[in-house]
Amino acid sequence: MSLMPFASSRPLTLGVELELQLLSCNDYNLVSSAPDILRRLAKSSHPGEIKPEMTRSMIEINTSVQYEYAVLVEELRALREVVTEAGRFLDVAIAGGGTHPFQHWSEQKIFDAPRFHYLSELYGYLAKQFTIFGQHVHIGCPGPDEALHLMHMLSRYIPHFIALSASSPFVQGHDTGFASARLNSVFSFPLSGRAPFVLRWEEFEQFFSKMTGTGVVESMKDFYWDIRPKPEFGTIEVRVCDTPLTVEIAAAIACYIQSMSRYIMVEQRTAPEEDDYLVYTFNRFQACRFGLDGIFVDPRTHERRSIREDITHMLARISDHARELHASEALERIREILIVGNGTSWLRQTYAREHNLGDVMQLQAELWMGN
Amino acid sequence: MTWSDYLPVWPLAVSPALWLALTLVVAVLISELMVRHLRWPRIVGYIGIGILLGPGGLSLIPELPAAEWRLVVDLALGILLFELGNRVNLRWLKANPWIAATSLLEATATFVAVFALLVSFGFTGAAAAIVATIVIATSPAIVVRMVTESRAQGQVTDRLMLMTALNCIYAVIFHKLAVAVMHGETGAEFIHTVLPPLYLLGGSALLAWLFGITFERIHHYLGQHEETFSFVLFGMIAFATIMASTLKLSPILVLLAAGLITRYRRQRSRAFPPHFGSAGAVLVVLMFIATGLAADLGGLRDNFLLVLLLIAVRAAAKLLTVLALANYSGIGLRQAISLGVALTPMSSVALLLTLDTGTVFPGFASGLGLALMSCIVILELVSPFLVQAALRKAGETSERKT
Repeated sequence: MSLMPFASSRPLTLGVELELQLLSCNDYNLVSSAPDILRRLAKSSHPGEIKPEMTRSMIEINTSVQYEYAVLVEELRALREVVTEAGRFLDVAIAGGGTHPFQHWSEQKIFDAPRFHYLSELYGYLAKQFTIFGQHVHIGCPGPDEALHLMHMLSRYIPHFIALSASSPFVQGHDTGFASARLNSVFSFPLSGRAPFVLRWEEFEQFFSKMTGTGVVESMKDFYWDIRPKPEFGTIEVRVCDTPLTVEIAAAIACYIQSMSRYIMVEQRTAPEEDDYLVYTFNRFQACRFGLDGIFVDPRTHERRSIREDITHMLARISDHARELHASEALERIREILIVGNGTSWLRQTYAREHNLGDVMQLQAELWMGN
Repeated sequence: MTWSDYLPVWPLAVSPALWLALTLVVAVLISELMVRHLRWPRIVGYIGIGILLGPGGLSLIPELPAAEWRLVVDLALGILLFELGNRVNLRWLKANPWIAATSLLEATATFVAVFALLVSFGFTGAAAAIVATIVIATSPAIVVRMVTESRAQGQVTDRLMLMTALNCIYAVIFHKLAVAVMHGETGAEFIHTVLPPLYLLGGSALLAWLFGITFERIHHYLGQHEETFSFVLFGMIAFATIMASTLKLSPILVLLAAGLITRYRRQRSRAFPPHFGSAGAVLVVLMFIATGLAADLGGLRDNFLLVLLLIAVRAAAKLLTVLALANYSGIGLRQAISLGVALTPMSSVALLLTLDTGTVFPGFASGLGLALMSCIVILELVSPFLVQAALRKAGETSERKT
């Protein structure tokens, strides 16, 4: 099977996918209500798409193709409203956050669809451990080579996205000490990590056909890379973010990535180098473990600073681009996160106050549903 | 000094409590064997052993004084009712009024269908009404126990518990009303027909409210110490049960309402261990054995057809009404069938209401009451299988093997 041609899309268009947690209102544990919610939503009209995910305690909301922060937030809010409404009707609470703090993976049930059953058989318990909740951001690219360029240049800033969205400190009832423990589950998949360093689409096609030739992969979906091209949409997809605790933060992070992409495409114009990846896993680990306080090593200058500082520098550099994209409000929200902290700080503070992960989950759901 | 001073005299004079203790051990062991080899619900073992060894079966266990059993049953049922109330979210009814509609329709249809059946068999209106109110109730004991045992969660489970709590409330209130009407027939003043249900409702609500407030207070101070807390809770449940009987209120209503009120007033959700700890679990097992011991199939031979029809009509009424409104209330066909079937159990609540009616009207106990007792015994043995199958078909039981 060969790779499909790269569809062209309007540069810097945006699409956001959020995986959400479905919770029982009795104990705020995960509940396998995805089929009920989806059945209920089949009757309602809403923008974007609402889809099942691997296990029956998650659903995914997708926005349509957007360009501006204000419209994106509105659409995400509209999606949140319909999902919340369906949840209330079924006594199911809905929440953001990258992990559920005390669910047991073995109690999760696989959603009844051929692909999910196939994956479940292939990956075994990993599939159920994949009950983690991420935000994916699509950025439109004018052509395939531009997409590969953007993908490799954005890789340098992966720690920014991880640290800003991090909201998964708790796993299986314990504080892992990580800001984003969710990504640890992703890393256990054999085809996770980063895309190979190729800059031309023909080379990427060659890589893909060699991989399919080995029989290891069938489609792009089998790569669990941090950023991967999505030829049928004409986009690259940033996949490292935890689902933030509110849709507003999700939109802000998406537009931060969008503004940065404009900076890369329009102003920066430097070519990616393979050596940029020398510090990649180190930086990514720092972001997962320590969040905004993690150390960031610049791949070119070898300077060390905190991820928070690196984001502050970046915000200054991209503010003109954000203005062009009408995304200045999004950058304001990013600045707010640098001051008040990310989702993980909110969760840890809440836990310190409530002493009970069930209560934390309830407040997390109330925060997401907006009441 | 003689032999008999320090050696036991033959034949041994054993207290009935010894047989009870032995029954507990045997019942639990046999139930575990059944779970392992046949994957049967444990309750069937508990109740089955009770029936087998009790006065209705091999008579190995001599009859214990009714009052002692009543305390065990009341206390364990109190725990289960309070637990049920605590797991039911009344606010859901506001968000999804179709569930309230389903519940009301289900209770009405059950009452009407069973009433019509009994009248067509030639029973008086008042007697028919009493039975028809009793059979509205789904057994909270069997439902809570089965949900706990299968670790079920999901729409069917949540709705099953909500509808069970509601139809128990209807049953207790309308049963009181029906009994009052029967009194009216036997020549009491109008005021004595109207007041009993009002007193029952008001008094029970007040007692439940006080219980709820006290519970929250104590939980606030002792909630971290699970064991201590469960002892205090059992004391409170026993107190509330005895207090309710003393004040001629319904212990069933008081404990159920107490659970509902505590849950309703609480800001945060609370997960309690099943039956509030292992002491509660022991009482629950004893209760099921006791219901087995109290089983009376004496009315089955004379009323075989009536008993079967009663079970069938009641089950059909519940299933069909749930099916009728399933689409509006947001569940699919398979879930609706599961929910409808899972509403079938009848056990301790119905048993206590039947016994209470019997003490007021001895004629009832020897007539229609006997037929009703047979229904209860049959459903106690059959309905755990139905609930188990229903929750499995709905895909709400844990996939992990127990």
